[in-house]
Amino acid sequence: MKFVFDWLDDRSGYRNLLHEVLYEKVPGGARWRYVWGSCLTFAFFTQVVTGTLLWMFYSPSAQTAWESVYFLQYQVWGGWFLRGVHHYMAQAMIVLLVLHLMQVVIDGAYRAPRELNFWFGALMMGVTLALSLTGYLLPWDQKGYWATAVATNLMAEVPWIGPALQKIVVGGVEYGHHTLTRFFALHAGVLPAMLVGLVVVHIYLFRKHGIHVKEPRPKKDSYFWPDQILKDAIACLAVLLAVVGLTLYFRGAPLGPPADPANEFPARPEWYFLFLFQLLKYVPAFWGAVIIPAFLVLWIFLQPFIGISRPGHQINIGFWWTLIAGSVALTLLAFAEDRANLRHSAALEEANWQAERVLSIVQDQGIPPAGAVTLLRSDHQNRARNLFASHCSSCHRFNGHDGRGYPVDDPQTAPELAGFASVDWVSKLLTHKHYISEEYFGGTAFKDGTMAKKVLAKYTPEETALLPRIATLLSDMAELPYQKPLEEDEREELLALFYNDDLDFQDGLACIDCHDIDSEGDGYAPDLTGYGSNEWTVAFIKNPEDERFYGDENDRMPCYGRDAKLTDEEIQILSDWIRSKPAK
Amino acid sequence: MEGEDTGRRKFIRVATIGVSAACGIFPLASGIPALLDPVKKSAGEQGVEPWSKVTPLASLPEDGSPAKFEVVQEKVVDAWTTYKDIPVGAVYLTRQNNDVVAFNLKCPHLGCAIDYRKQSNDYFCPCHNSSFGLDGSVTTENSPSPRSMDTMETKVEDGFVWIRFQHFRPNVPEKIPLS
Repeated sequence: MKFVFDWLDDRSGYRNLLHEVLYEKVPGGARWRYVWGSCLTFAFFTQVVTGTLLWMFYSPSAQTAWESVYFLQYQVWGGWFLRGVHHYMAQAMIVLLVLHLMQVVIDGAYRAPRELNFWFGALMMGVTLALSLTGYLLPWDQKGYWATAVATNLMAEVPWIGPALQKIVVGGVEYGHHTLTRFFALHAGVLPAMLVGLVVVHIYLFRKHGIHVKEPRPKKDSYFWPDQILKDAIACLAVLLAVVGLTLYFRGAPLGPPADPANEFPARPEWYFLFLFQLLKYVPAFWGAVIIPAFLVLWIFLQPFIGISRPGHQINIGFWWTLIAGSVALTLLAFAEDRANLRHSAALEEANWQAERVLSIVQDQGIPPAGAVTLLRSDHQNRARNLFASHCSSCHRFNGHDGRGYPVDDPQTAPELAGFASVDWVSKLLTHKHYISEEYFGGTAFKDGTMAKKVLAKYTPEETALLPRIATLLSDMAELPYQKPLEEDEREELLALFYNDDLDFQDGLACIDCHDIDSEGDGYAPDLTGYGSNEWTVAFIKNPEDERFYGDENDRMPCYGRDAKLTDEEIQILSDWIRSKPAK
Repeated sequence: MEGEDTGRRKFIRVATIGVSAACGIFPLASGIPALLDPVKKSAGEQGVEPWSKVTPLASLPEDGSPAKFEVVQEKVVDAWTTYKDIPVGAVYLTRQNNDVVAFNLKCPHLGCAIDYRKQSNDYFCPCHNSSFGLDGSVTTENSPSPRSMDTMETKVEDGFVWIRFQHFRPNVPEKIPLS
């Protein structure tokens, strides 16, 4: 064995090199405060290796990016773990960057003769942030898509070349295949190559000037190997464990619903860019895109010169602490504002629903060549929620919201429709208190109609007690998928009650006096034959002004079919959806 | 005292190498399962190939000379994409008595596409010059192909030819289905 190493050393001189690398002097002994650079190198190394492995699974195009990430996440053995490590190590890298920077600033390691290396470090920080930004888009999910669009729009703020620069990076005017191919080339090729080059220069310059020792020296001098390396390695291990912990805890990196320019999503960048996001609420985009970055670059350039004097050094430290404190404050503010915003949390809920929905569709049907986004677009449940939100929710509610989970600003002026035609829903409808409440007809003309005033309000407690049985009969006709049908004799009995055969109802009108079920007479109120069934519901939505329903008594319900406000297919989708679920 | 110190130094050295090695190996190790996923998956799946409808029997020449057809499968899954009704390969079909024999277009040698030569009425692989008779058997001595052309199960139903389309491991004397 020795012979092989001797042979190799003769030809390469590796022993000298190794000696040089390992026996770097550490004046004042090994210290924990020196570990951040090594941790960052380790983090970058991890990103290169895991990134290369991810490369084997990723396919950058608008129809395959989300799909290939989905496949890795859910179908490939351990794919979620690999992706999780890459995702959380990227976040760890940002934290490490700040720690490294602050250690350099506080120790004054940026001053002569290390100015150049400080500038290189700042450059590396920029490249790392660019890596984060480009990586955020690659899964092509709603979050990455909408947030990155904000970042590339900021690019257009750069004077003169801005719009052209934006087009070059985006690969055109709109986001598409070329945005992904370009971002991927930047993320996996250009930027890592730059960073490798910069790391080499950074370490070379670091070695040239040696460690900047923070006085007073705690111990006698030692060497890089093994004392400092042990501390570095333990710190790296701690980073690694934190990343593995996050990956296991969150079961890998998140994957939202596939990007869809027609499906709104509240754009938020990754948490470490949130302060910039928040800042843009107060300052014009030009400030965020140009003036502030330019000021930062200028400061970083001047910092070694400002720091020549002791007060100057204190100013530098103060500057960075202020910057960090300001960023933390803005970040917390951004979180707090989002948390207080009901629409925002509803939007996140909606995105979660879509993400889960698309997974369950994919499990059933697989992904067509046109991509997973088409599954969601054609999904009846998803379409029904959106149709309800756009066409029904300005008057009706669904579980108190707009069908998708968003709160509605307009007052409710028509019945709550979650659990429509179920026994519970009809039972409540048939109590005077609920009938005239906002939840049912309180916002309509029916509040003061015959049913409210001459029927429900007139019944004695004994008669009122019979109404839940009428509700059971009506609800049975709806044939809801989640309710058990009645036995035939039970139905006959309830029909007799409806027809008032035994004259149970005497104090107000009986049902049959106005409503029909399977009878030839033309009742004055809506015909309840097949009430709540698919046929009844579709016909009702199509034309509530039909004689069969409200006739000219209709309050404000639009005739969606008669007036071609919705297609027959859309009405069918809505009816299916409304009738498919019990209320929450 | 000195012995204690050497013991401590030794521990530091071993600990350093141990922790560094763990950190160094981790990134690659985190992707090894994903990397080996294809091997794991193929080992688990040993299903029977589905029947694919190829062509009306009437479209095959009566005299037993071969004709080439593409095989369209109803559902093909490639990683994340599920395709419907797409070609998965091609076959030569010939009539033999009342049956139909199907040969895979791919040469059993190294997978080039085999031609049918009308003049000499045989099959010929233009890559490495393997040639086969109409019954699929190897005709030349020292043929690069280690076995006859690959046949697959066929049936005729309601006037249509159906096939269980398969590929086989190249360059071995036995016909082993790929899975």
